[in-house]
Amino acid sequence: MTDALNTTSAPHIPARISVQKVMLWVILALIPASVAHLYYFGLGILIQLVIAITSAYAFEWWCLKWRHQPIKPFITDLSALVTAWLFVLCISPVSPWYVGVVGMFFAIVVAKHLYGGLGHNIFNPAMVGFAVILVAFPQSMSLWLPPGDLLQLTDNHSTLSLTATLNWVFTGQAPSAIDSITAATPLGAIQTGLQQGYSLSEITSQPIFGDLGGLGWEWVANWLFLGGVLLLYKRIIGWRTPAAVLMTTIAVSTPFYLFNADVFMSPQQHVFSGGIMLAAFFIATDPTSGCSSDRGKLVFGAGVAILTVLIRNFGAYADGVAFAVLLMNMSAPLIDRLTIPSPYGKKQVKP
Amino acid sequence: MVDLHHFHGGLVLRHHKQQSCDQQMRPAGLPDELLVALKANRGHESEPVVTVGDQVLKGQVIAHPIHPYGAVFHAPTSGTVTDISLKNTASADAPLAQCVVIKPDGKEQWLESTPPDLPENSTAVIARIQQAGIIGMGGAGFPTHVKYQHQQPDQETTLIINGAECEPYISCDERLMLEQPNAIVSGTHWLMKAAGAKQAIIAIEENIDGVKKRLKQEIEVLNPQFPNHHITVVKVPTIYPTGGEKQLIKVLTGKEVPSGQTPLSLGVIMQNVATAKAVHDAIVLNRPLLERVVTVTGDAVASPRNYLTLIGTPFEHLLQLAETDLSQMDKLIVGGPMMGYAMPHADMGVEKTTNCLLALPKEATKPELDAMPCIRCGDCVKVCPQELLPQQLFWYINGNDQNQDLEQAREHHVFDCIECGACSWVCPSHINLVDFYRFAKSELTYLDHKKAKANLAKQRHDDREARLARIKAERQAKRRQKTATLSDKSNAKKEISAVLERIKQQNNTDPSDD
Repeated sequence: MTDALNTTSAPHIPARISVQKVMLWVILALIPASVAHLYYFGLGILIQLVIAITSAYAFEWWCLKWRHQPIKPFITDLSALVTAWLFVLCISPVSPWYVGVVGMFFAIVVAKHLYGGLGHNIFNPAMVGFAVILVAFPQSMSLWLPPGDLLQLTDNHSTLSLTATLNWVFTGQAPSAIDSITAATPLGAIQTGLQQGYSLSEITSQPIFGDLGGLGWEWVANWLFLGGVLLLYKRIIGWRTPAAVLMTTIAVSTPFYLFNADVFMSPQQHVFSGGIMLAAFFIATDPTSGCSSDRGKLVFGAGVAILTVLIRNFGAYADGVAFAVLLMNMSAPLIDRLTIPSPYGKKQVKP
Repeated sequence: MVDLHHFHGGLVLRHHKQQSCDQQMRPAGLPDELLVALKANRGHESEPVVTVGDQVLKGQVIAHPIHPYGAVFHAPTSGTVTDISLKNTASADAPLAQCVVIKPDGKEQWLESTPPDLPENSTAVIARIQQAGIIGMGGAGFPTHVKYQHQQPDQETTLIINGAECEPYISCDERLMLEQPNAIVSGTHWLMKAAGAKQAIIAIEENIDGVKKRLKQEIEVLNPQFPNHHITVVKVPTIYPTGGEKQLIKVLTGKEVPSGQTPLSLGVIMQNVATAKAVHDAIVLNRPLLERVVTVTGDAVASPRNYLTLIGTPFEHLLQLAETDLSQMDKLIVGGPMMGYAMPHADMGVEKTTNCLLALPKEATKPELDAMPCIRCGDCVKVCPQELLPQQLFWYINGNDQNQDLEQAREHHVFDCIECGACSWVCPSHINLVDFYRFAKSELTYLDHKKAKANLAKQRHDDREARLARIKAERQAKRRQKTATLSDKSNAKKEISAVLERIKQQNNTDPSDD
């Protein structure tokens, strides 16, 4: 024998999966919902995606440079793309341009890289970005376009043109073609309505509400559900977290609803409005900031749902998903410590 | 019929077995020299009883164990001992071990011995197994006879013959079952006799055809000879690592081997089919363990096949027989692609546990990708057959800046890892997780050892301190007593005269001292 052979350790045959592929599947699963978003709320989401993705990658590159990390493997892992995309699905499509930049700064620089980069973040980056925006720019977050046909344009166009949207996002000038005023999110409308003393049935008879949640929003949620099913099928995510989030949302909101249907939203409104569907399949399932044990995942998902329903019903914010996720992110290590599964051969010792 | 159960996780892998398994087994013949490594389970070595220049006959004992878990070694053929020295052996990192090098004379001359009668009882069977140098041939190499010496007397034992060869590429057990079902069933009967077992299960994977029928035929044939024995053949799902001892027990019995214990705690003894065949050879044919079936396969091998190989046959000889393209070979793996060890050279000999030589070219091996950080995706948790949290273990072991973290790994049951490699295989970040667990296990064992030693030293120190204090106290008490007696004048005088008397007497009795 001349040269020594390659002696790297087992397994010796290649597998097929990579971080990049995982991220790519998540993006693919987000596309149907994004198309629905585009259909109901106009071109805004495209502009927001461009802003968020560009700034996410600029920050990512800068942080990698600054932390002396290899650029190529991390820039190509697509995790920043996922963060930006999730963030955009949370914000208003007509948010001012700086919302995306500031959001991505907090997501990528603060939540991700200051904590050690990919795989080390305690908090879900997209949710950190969104929470900062919620606190810093509350008005722009409550300002949405009315969905689909409800958008009454004075110039007989059914949708807002690209230039008009661009103008709005970058200069803050709402186009004159928009008749009266933009709508709030369904959850925002409910909160304001309740504060003004209307009952829930009166509020939800407004045209922006659909059969299940908000008109348009409910369809985005449906498509998110479908994307989630795709991820389940591809085994990118497990069933425990989404099931725990959705079931607990229903379980916790039902008693409130039965107690007083005038003040508390119905379970289906909870599920199909706001960020619950996104959280169930795309946010709470983030493995890095979530729990890793099977029982831990159930607890984590349930926690997100309970906090969300409580914030929606009693809190100062219309939707509480972002805060609920961040609070549970903090608890995840503890939950994991308390839910270490008993391995093979140790079941008798520890039930 | 046996109700089958599931173990957690596992992988469905491509088999790659067809290439080697479709071919008839062939004898590998006599190589130029045989390198017999004198080590068994976990490197327990044996002491050679021959010296360089000795003529040995086929089947002659050449080494005796010096440890209870060692094994007897026999000359695989007749010839001359040309060297006894430390050489590379076919385990992880190719460690050095005593090897006896035999140059065959080509005569294959057997050591003359009158065949003994078939053993009558369990003890006799076990003794014959031990004398034949039989160790577990599935890979672990645990001396076979030891398992039967630790049975609990009040427990009914079930014997499981493991024919579930779950690693891709390897087909030596399947081929053996196809070609020598008689020897396997007969060996099973003798092992049952050794264990006093009435029940035995031969477990095979469900994707292999023809084996079950042949085994059943042989069971029918041998049944009259052992009327009390009941052997069933069971097909188990082809999920890696279903052939792992703990996993197969779970599948067949639904029970889990308690952590840190052997299957005997459940009344189960498991043996590989090749071991059963070796037992048949030893007892019925009066032949010690001199040969085994080795699969030579892999994408760098032109004619993959199973070879009936003498123990000690150099890897080069087998690779040549199977027409291996050595220039293409990037990795030479002993064992399967999931758990096998890549060897730096092919200059070592086949051991009793060597089931497969896998020669892979660059295209077929896993590219050495830079590991990305763990994203805690949990795929490893899903596949872990031991129901561990591999990513948490990795987290604690990787962040190992203080011993505290390794203790966390212990708390997360790192010692229950069977190193099957399923987690490493599915990791999207391409982290060689098993390497970390091996490191943690050895490091923790070392730390425990050190701690035990330190505790012992501290104990000794404390004991010594106590002893010194006691002696000092005793001396002081004596002195005080003396001072008390001497303080009285009349007593002092008496004392002095007594001393003087003693000295005088001594001088009288011991004049020879001068």
